[in-house]
Amino acid sequence: MTTRTRTKPELLAPAGNLEKLKFAIHYGADAVYIGGQQFGLRSNAGNFSYDEMREGVAFANKYNAKVYVAANIIAHNENLEGLHEFFKELYEIGISGVIVADPALIQASREAAPDLEVHISTQASVANWKTAEFWKNEGLPRVVLAREVSVEEIREMKEKVDIEIEAFIHGAMCISYSGRCVLSNHMSARDANRGGCAQSCRWKYDLFEDGTDGTVAVSDESDEQYTMSSQDLSMVEHLPDLIEAGVDSLKIEGRMKSIHYVATVVNVYRKIIDTYFEDPENYQIQQEWIDEIWKAAQRSLTSGFYYDEPTEKDQLFGRPNRIPKYDFAGLVLDYDEETQMATIQQRNNFGIGDEVEFFGPNFYHFKQTITAIWDENDEPIERAKHAMMITKVKVDQPVEKFNMMRKGK
Amino acid sequence: MSSYKPELQVSARNLEEVKRLAQAGADAIFVGNQQFANRQPGDFSLFEIKEATEWLHSQGKKIYVMVNAIYHNEHLESLPTYLKDLEQLKVDGIVAGDQSIYQILRDIKCSLPLTWDPETLSTNYQTLNFWAQRGLSRATLSNELSLDAVIKIKENVHFPIEMQIHGMTNIFHSKRKLVRNYYAQIDETYDRSKTRFIKENRKPETHYPIFEDLNGTHIMSNEDLAMIEYLDQIIDAKIDGLYIEGILKTIDYNEKIVALYREAIDTYLADPAAFETKKTAFKQMIADIQPDDRQLNTGFYFKEQID
Ligand code: SF4
Repeated sequence: MTTRTRTKPELLAPAGNLEKLKFAIHYGADAVYIGGQQFGLRSNAGNFSYDEMREGVAFANKYNAKVYVAANIIAHNENLEGLHEFFKELYEIGISGVIVADPALIQASREAAPDLEVHISTQASVANWKTAEFWKNEGLPRVVLAREVSVEEIREMKEKVDIEIEAFIHGAMCISYSGRCVLSNHMSARDANRGGCAQSCRWKYDLFEDGTDGTVAVSDESDEQYTMSSQDLSMVEHLPDLIEAGVDSLKIEGRMKSIHYVATVVNVYRKIIDTYFEDPENYQIQQEWIDEIWKAAQRSLTSGFYYDEPTEKDQLFGRPNRIPKYDFAGLVLDYDEETQMATIQQRNNFGIGDEVEFFGPNFYHFKQTITAIWDENDEPIERAKHAMMITKVKVDQPVEKFNMMRKGK
Repeated sequence: MSSYKPELQVSARNLEEVKRLAQAGADAIFVGNQQFANRQPGDFSLFEIKEATEWLHSQGKKIYVMVNAIYHNEHLESLPTYLKDLEQLKVDGIVAGDQSIYQILRDIKCSLPLTWDPETLSTNYQTLNFWAQRGLSRATLSNELSLDAVIKIKENVHFPIEMQIHGMTNIFHSKRKLVRNYYAQIDETYDRSKTRFIKENRKPETHYPIFEDLNGTHIMSNEDLAMIEYLDQIIDAKIDGLYIEGILKTIDYNEKIVALYREAIDTYLADPAAFETKKTAFKQMIADIQPDDRQLNTGFYFKEQID
């Protein structure tokens, strides 16, 4: 029997904007990663201005959480301007670390802000322990692994190299080695390594063979056209394997995803980590955690490369399956204990008679049927139809600010 | 006069091709073993590399060995010995793109010159200077750069720079078996000896070769690069290595292509005015032997991209 001296790994969540940052932390993330207005790959993920970063860091500090900035472009000559100022500013703002793929940026960061932690991004495809050792010797505290690495390989890396390992546990995946795909550059003249990826891997193609009798269409016009779309990663059923392999930071993908997605996914993994650490020997996965993950899932789910090499079963063919099955219906802004009324900001059409589910941090959940709604002027209404309208809703159990309401589609 | 002369490089499938391509005018031949290298036209054993090395050196030519896989822990078990063996064979250098190579060469005290070729990640001079401080001897630039960017990089580094000037370029690398998986999905038998390509939906004019090797699935560009008429600009910028990708082409084609580029380079070096008069003809000679399904173009060297 192994003695368990492990410390809890960090649960690291994406935060596409300030609101998502707050929700991620509120629902239990130990750290979030965000994008600045320069040098990041998610040019349209609602990136943070320096002021917003300051606000985000102040919020995170209250909860003892960290904020990292992804500056993970593969730079071209003309992108090299302003790097020093950028990293210096991040350090002064109180950012805990930067996630970087291009050595030009690593160097600039270390020159401009020697105490700002630099983590190697997954875009650099760190896939073996010697690369980890190389960066360790360069003085970097952490590498984010390529998604092609197995649990066994991680274990070996941790045995051989004393460096923090960050690994993805949930979210969408490139089907290529990250950084080694320029389909988008070629098909759409948009640079995938500077944030322009057009998701060309998920398009439909026709596959042909050169045979002895000329060119044969293998997939032409059939409904099962050629494509290279990966299912999304989820380690919900196997998280202890990664923890025991020694992963230091468990990372959720998705800076473009909704607050509903971020809150739901973070909530589940928080619950799993905490439950596991309370009593590792008797830990058992609960069906309700798996069900909960599926409420935010956008594609079918796979464990990627963590166990066996992915096959066709880990790819998406044919018509996209209809996931998610839930809508984010409303956000709780306030709750009045006396009247049992919740103030709810509408995020999707809901109305009397709808079956809804409320949920909040610490895996708080209950279901109810909506019986009464009032609008801003305290007029009773049948349905909350207007985007972002403020309503009052009668609730069966107490709720609080940051709780959410979802409903089936 | 400086002693600058670009090195004309081409990949080869087997020993016979090594000889024919060198005799056609290549200065350096690229070979590889599929265990450690991506996208090899052939699969050279150490013994074959030895023979190729001896023969090429007797002709005053060079040999570089591709070890450009993305390494996993498994590769690391046999790679150090392999590198030591290559060093003993006195090959002229290795081509690698996995960051661990810097650590490995240092650990095993291997003095083989390293051509750093991280494919898509070789896009600016500061990055390359970072790697130069860690031991690269030469660097291959990414194909998705403008010629201006190539020239700017060359001006800002102090080591030799290589670029691809002809043939298809790699545009996608996955560790997964994405061709085999599809055959399994549609319940057809996968025959690994066939060559394949994909077309974009409703774009019948497109043609992207796709294949698997030991290190996964690779997709190649829609067009073949052909920079022959711009050799003047490339040579004026003193780019050091000019690479012809031979994969998925016949030896007859590659041999003619090498000979044409040899002639074009030598013409320009000897007499720029003569090159000027002949360059359209050079281009035409390539067009004449070009397979019907492979268009020619200049890649990203003169193309705008959105970032
Ligand atoms: S096209 Fe697909 S594999 Fe390529 S960068 Fe985009 S998401 Fe990744």
